[in-house]
Amino acid sequence: MTHPLPIETLVRRVARQVRLRRAEHAGVRGAFWGAAAAALLLVFRSPLGAVALALAAGLVAAGVLAGVAWGLARRVGARDAARVADRAFALDDRVATVLEWAERPDRTPLVDALVADTLARVEALEPRRMVERVSPREARWLPVPVLAGLVLLLAPPVPMPAGGLPDFLPSRGDEEREERSASTLLEERTRPLAKEPLKRAMLEERDFAQRAGASGAASAGDLAAIFKDTSLSGQRPDFNSFLKKGDERLKLLENVDRLPDLQSDFTSTTYKMVFRKSKALSSGLRPDQISPQKLRELLDEMERLGRKGGTWGGDAAEGMEALEGGETDKALQAMQKALDKMRAMDEAQRSGKGLRGGRERDRGARGRDRGRGEGVGPEDQDFGDTDGLLPGTGRSPLAKGEATARLRARPYDVGVEGESRRGRKDGYDTNLTGRGGTMGSRLQYLGVVGQYRKQMEDAIAREQIPREYHDQIKEYFQALDER
Amino acid sequence: MGQEERAREFVGAFQALRAEVEKVIVGHGEIITHVLTGMFAGGHILLEGVPGLGKTLLIKTLAEGLELSFSRIQFTPDLMPADIVGTNIIVEDADGRKHFQFQHGPIFAHILLADEINRATPKTQSALLEGMQEGAVTVGGASRPLPAPFFVLATQNPIEMEGTYPLPEAQLDRFFFKLRVRYPALEELNAIIDRTTQARQVAVNRVLSGPTVLGFRELIREVPIASHVRDFASAIVMATHPQWDQAPEVARRFVRYGASPRGAQALVLGAKVRALAEGRYNVSVDDIKALAAPALRHRIILNFEGEAEGVDTDTLVGQIVESVEAAAVERKEVFLR
Repeated sequence: MTHPLPIETLVRRVARQVRLRRAEHAGVRGAFWGAAAAALLLVFRSPLGAVALALAAGLVAAGVLAGVAWGLARRVGARDAARVADRAFALDDRVATVLEWAERPDRTPLVDALVADTLARVEALEPRRMVERVSPREARWLPVPVLAGLVLLLAPPVPMPAGGLPDFLPSRGDEEREERSASTLLEERTRPLAKEPLKRAMLEERDFAQRAGASGAASAGDLAAIFKDTSLSGQRPDFNSFLKKGDERLKLLENVDRLPDLQSDFTSTTYKMVFRKSKALSSGLRPDQISPQKLRELLDEMERLGRKGGTWGGDAAEGMEALEGGETDKALQAMQKALDKMRAMDEAQRSGKGLRGGRERDRGARGRDRGRGEGVGPEDQDFGDTDGLLPGTGRSPLAKGEATARLRARPYDVGVEGESRRGRKDGYDTNLTGRGGTMGSRLQYLGVVGQYRKQMEDAIAREQIPREYHDQIKEYFQALDER
Repeated sequence: MGQEERAREFVGAFQALRAEVEKVIVGHGEIITHVLTGMFAGGHILLEGVPGLGKTLLIKTLAEGLELSFSRIQFTPDLMPADIVGTNIIVEDADGRKHFQFQHGPIFAHILLADEINRATPKTQSALLEGMQEGAVTVGGASRPLPAPFFVLATQNPIEMEGTYPLPEAQLDRFFFKLRVRYPALEELNAIIDRTTQARQVAVNRVLSGPTVLGFRELIREVPIASHVRDFASAIVMATHPQWDQAPEVARRFVRYGASPRGAQALVLGAKVRALAEGRYNVSVDDIKALAAPALRHRIILNFEGEAEGVDTDTLVGQIVESVEAAAVERKEVFLR
C-alpha cells in the first residue's frame, strides 16, 4: 500500500517550506558575508575605478545566491517533514507513523484504520505556515557592512600609498636625545628606594624600660606611677612575647581548617546517613533474613567513607571478609563496630574535638603525662571502641591507677580514674575511686551508661518494640543522665 | 468485525469500566486510568499509599466491574507461601485409600488482591514471583497454570512505616506500574464523606468478561509505533543507567541501577493502551512521556548519595525525560525542531 495522496502532499508541502526557510536563512547569511567582502573591496576602489562598484554589487549578489542555492539544494527527509507536520498540526505523530508503517510487510490491520484516520484529519487541515522563520545571527549585523559600503561609495576614494615607503627613521640627533632621556628614566626606575630606618621593637622597649624603671622619676602619664604601689610596678612589660603571641594567633587564624565549622549541618552527617541505611537494612529482620547484597553494599560504602579519614575502614573490610565467608553474624558485628566508630567521630566533631591542631595534637602528650599523675578529664576519653569497657574484656596487664588527690577531697565522692592502653586497638582502663573504689567494680559509670544507651538505640531501631514503649525507654535513660 | 470496529469497542469498554469504578471511588482519576491501562496491557499493578486512601476499595470495585473470579490475601508477617499457592493434603477416598490431593490456594483466581504485600516476609512475597511472570505456579514438582487473564493488584504502605518488609527488586520489576495514591483534595474529601456516610448503596455493573479482556490485549499489541517514538522510549530507559555514555548528569549522580528491559516493555505497551483508549491508532511521544513515571519509578535504584539527598524518583524520571527530549531536539537542525 502506498501512502495516500493527501498525506504525501502534506509531507511534500512541509518539505518545500523547510527548504524555503533554509534558503531564506542561508540567503541572509550570504548577503552579510557578501556585503562585508564588498565593503572591503570598496576601500581599495581608487586603483580599480568603476570596476570596483560592479565587483562589490556582484559580491553581494553572489553571497545571496550562494546561500539560497545551498538552502534549496539540501534535501529534507520525508520522516523529518512528517514529524514537523505532526507538530505543526498537533497530529500526535500520526503522519510519521503512517509514513513508516504503510509500506511495512509486518503491518497490522490497525494500520489501515490509522491511515484512514490520518487521511481524514489531513484533508480537514487548512493550509498555513508550518515552519517558522528563523533569523540568522548575521541578520542583526547586516546593516553594518551595507552602511560601510554606502559610506565608502559616497566618500572620496581612500588615498593609496604610491612609490617607496616614507622614511620613518629618526635623525641621529633625535636618537641621541631620546637615548639620553630614556637612560635618565631608566635610572629613575631602577634606583632603589631609600630605606626608611625601621624602629625595632627591642629599641622601643628599651626606651620605655628606661622611663618605667623603679629608680626613674615618675612623670605625668607614666604607667609606672599608676602601678607604683603594686607588684606590677617592678615588672617590665614584655612586648616581645606580646608580639610573638599575637603573631601566633594571627597564624592560627590563617589555618582555616583549624577553625570550628559553624555552618555544617550536623543533622545530616555521614554517620546519620549510614545509620539510617543500616536501620533500613536490618529493621525487624534476623541476621539470616538480611540481604547479603545490601549488607555488602553498605559495608563497601562504609569502607569507602573510612578511607577518607575515618578509622572504621578496617572493621568494614573485616565485615566484608566475613560476609564473603558466609558469616553474616560476624559481618553485622563488624558493621556495628564500624558504626560505633563513626558515631564516636561524629560526636567528637560535633563537640569541636574534631578540629585538628590543639587538643588532638596534645592528646598523645597528655597520655604520656598521665603516668606522672596529671588529672584527665572525662572529655579526653575515647569511648568509640567498645573493647575494654565491659567487665573482663580489658587486656591491660598493668595495675590499675590510684585515685587522684582531688577526687579524694570528699569521701562521698565517687569518681573515676583511668589509663590509656596502647595496643592493636587503643583502649582505656578505668578504676572507680572514692567510696566505691574498694569494691570490685572497674567500670566507668558514664562509659557503661553510654554503651547501654547505644545498645538501646540500636535495639529500638532493629527490633520490633512497640512504638509506645520507645518514649518510655528513652525517658529512662534520660533520667540516668540527669542523676 | 474490523479492527477499527474493535478499537472503538475497546474505547467504549474502557470508558464504561472507568465509569463503574468512578461510581464508588472519588477522585484518583489518573490512578484509575493507570490501573485499567496496566490491566489491559496484561501487567500487574502495585499501589502505594498510606492506609485509608481507598486502594483496596478501588481494586474491589474494579473486580466487581469484571466478570472474573476474585480473591484477596491479607498479607501478614506470619503468612506462609503455601497459604498463597496452596498445598498437597492427604485425603481418603471411598475405598479407604489415602492419597495426596492439591488444595488450590487463593492465587488461583483471575484477579488477586495482595493487600499490604510488604507486611509479609520476603519469602512469602516471593511466592508470587512465578505466578506473576509465568502465569503458573509449581507445587510439589508439578506446574499448575493460573486462570487467564491473571492480574495481581497489590497494595503496600510506604516502606518507612513500622513492620514492613521492602519488596525485593526482582519482584518490584515484575510489576508493570507502581502507582502512588495521594491524599485527596478538599472537594474530593467532601465528596467521599457525602458518598460514604449516607444510606444509599451504589451497585457496580459487570461490563467486561475475561475473554473480552484477552481479546483486547491482543488488539493492543497491534497498535503501530513509529521508530522515532520507540527510540525515544529506549533513550529514556537507557538514560536511567549511569553507565550509559549519554546518561544525564542526574542519573550519573543519583542512580545505582537503571530500569530493566521490562521497564521499556511496560512503557511502550502502556503507551499503546493509552493511545487506543484515547481513540488513536498509533503511539505518540506524549503517551511515552505520560507513562514514564509509573513505569520506571520502581525500577530505578538510587545510590547512597541519592538516598542521602532524599531524591524523589518521580522528579528524577521527570528530569531524565526532559534531558532526553532536549538532547533529541538539540541533534536536529533548527528548521526540523
